[in-house]
Amino acid sequence: MEFFATEFWLPKSGSTDAEYEDASAVAKDKSRFAVADGATETSFSGVWAKQLVRAFTDKRLSVPIVTEELKPLQSKWQKIVHRHPLPWYAEEKAYDGAFAAFIGLEFCDWHSETGTKNIWRASAAGDSCLIQVRNDEIAEAFPLANSASFNDRPNLLCSTINGNGTCEVISKSGSLVTEDVFFLMTDAIACWFFKQYEQGNKPWNLLKTKDDASFEKFVSDLRSEKQMKNDDVTLVRVDVIA
Amino acid sequence: MAYSAEIKRQNPSCFVFLIDQSGSMADVFGGGEGNQKKADGVADAINRMLQNLVIKCAKEEGIRDYFHVGVIGYGAQVGPAFSGALAGQQLVPISQVGNSPARVEQRNKKVPDGAGGLVDQSVRFPIWFEPVASGGTPMSQALGQAKSIVENWLTKYPDCFPPIVINLTDGEATDGDPTSAADEIRKLKSSDGEVLLFNLHASSQRGNTIEYPSNGEGLPDKFAQQLFQMSSTLPEHMRTIASQSGMSVNEGSRGFVFNADLVAIIKFLDIGTRPSALR
Repeated sequence: MEFFATEFWLPKSGSTDAEYEDASAVAKDKSRFAVADGATETSFSGVWAKQLVRAFTDKRLSVPIVTEELKPLQSKWQKIVHRHPLPWYAEEKAYDGAFAAFIGLEFCDWHSETGTKNIWRASAAGDSCLIQVRNDEIAEAFPLANSASFNDRPNLLCSTINGNGTCEVISKSGSLVTEDVFFLMTDAIACWFFKQYEQGNKPWNLLKTKDDASFEKFVSDLRSEKQMKNDDVTLVRVDVIA
Repeated sequence: MAYSAEIKRQNPSCFVFLIDQSGSMADVFGGGEGNQKKADGVADAINRMLQNLVIKCAKEEGIRDYFHVGVIGYGAQVGPAFSGALAGQQLVPISQVGNSPARVEQRNKKVPDGAGGLVDQSVRFPIWFEPVASGGTPMSQALGQAKSIVENWLTKYPDCFPPIVINLTDGEATDGDPTSAADEIRKLKSSDGEVLLFNLHASSQRGNTIEYPSNGEGLPDKFAQQLFQMSSTLPEHMRTIASQSGMSVNEGSRGFVFNADLVAIIKFLDIGTRPSALR
């Protein structure tokens, strides 16, 4: 099978590109894809989100993610944060750690007595979402399945060893066929996607054939019309083409 | 929906703190340990609220000006109470507050040790205000000054998240009944809702602490009753965050605490995603 992946991102309106705290990554061999969303109320969360997506697409994280595998990333995060002396407020905030929502998708073969199948597996923490579309219908939505499931206090992956006590990383797998389309999305666009679907629309058709400029306009319009929360937006679209 | 305006640098909100610095604040504080004075309790409360507000707005590149902050002291005189570089200023961007404490001291803080226990960790704690106790309690005058600061703010930012006025006092006003001055503040509004007035009552009375009550029953004295009546009802989204944090609140809960902590109010403010693991 072959896959075609497109990444889109846009900072919160009123913020600069440097203040964007989501992250996305696609493995060179197109077998893994990830999106993460650094929490606004924590600092150095963009760095943490970037570390998570890169570690996943470099296969330094398993599916499902094992907490132990986060330790090298957490040590690296501490080094990055404490590269320079911090003012009192930054030190206090860094002590609490950075937090990020995460969704990682992997395509792989599944061997059984009856033969080999193509499957997908995903790991998630928080409210970044994976939606699989097949035959013009949602085939799977993970880990959230509707717009009412979003709130401003999700369980997120923490950059400190002691910070993941309440965080649950969950996993799921499913089948894969040609012409399936997968969307990995951070919360604002995922919530919009579900709302559209709940109103009887097919939002996946609105996310076709976009370039960076048309994606920016598309999101800006939805924000102005209050259809989408003003937040960093990240989308990875993966088409299964053969 | 009211109280839903996004708090952002292009559309910031404001806080005005009123600190009772009257002579009666030298009396022993019922909510503290041993012989702590009410003035000590109030100075500690304002320092911790400012610290939390700065931390809330801190990002890796510095402090984002989501709020501007004014502090009015009332006692022997009524007026701006910042000292040092901020002296005399009525409203200051939160970044300047964070970068200009009067001094920074080392304190010990209990933190999880990763094995289910707690260990002491040395942290830097900024101090903006020292305890002061002298003169009368011109609370109505202080509320009047807060009103004019907030009115002026609202002409500049008519669509902001409603400003919040926090009064820290022992409640014993000496310039008349402050109720009507409080009403005047609560009548001010942005397009997003009415200005919020919250009160922290630091009393000499010992007894249970009271947080966000929905009626005046059980409040220990007439000063507590009066401050309760002067306090705004908590908006719905603040109640939601308070409930999620394990606090007991209901629809009528007001922004009033008796010998307790108002720092949580800062945590009720929404400037974006807050991990559920953070309290």
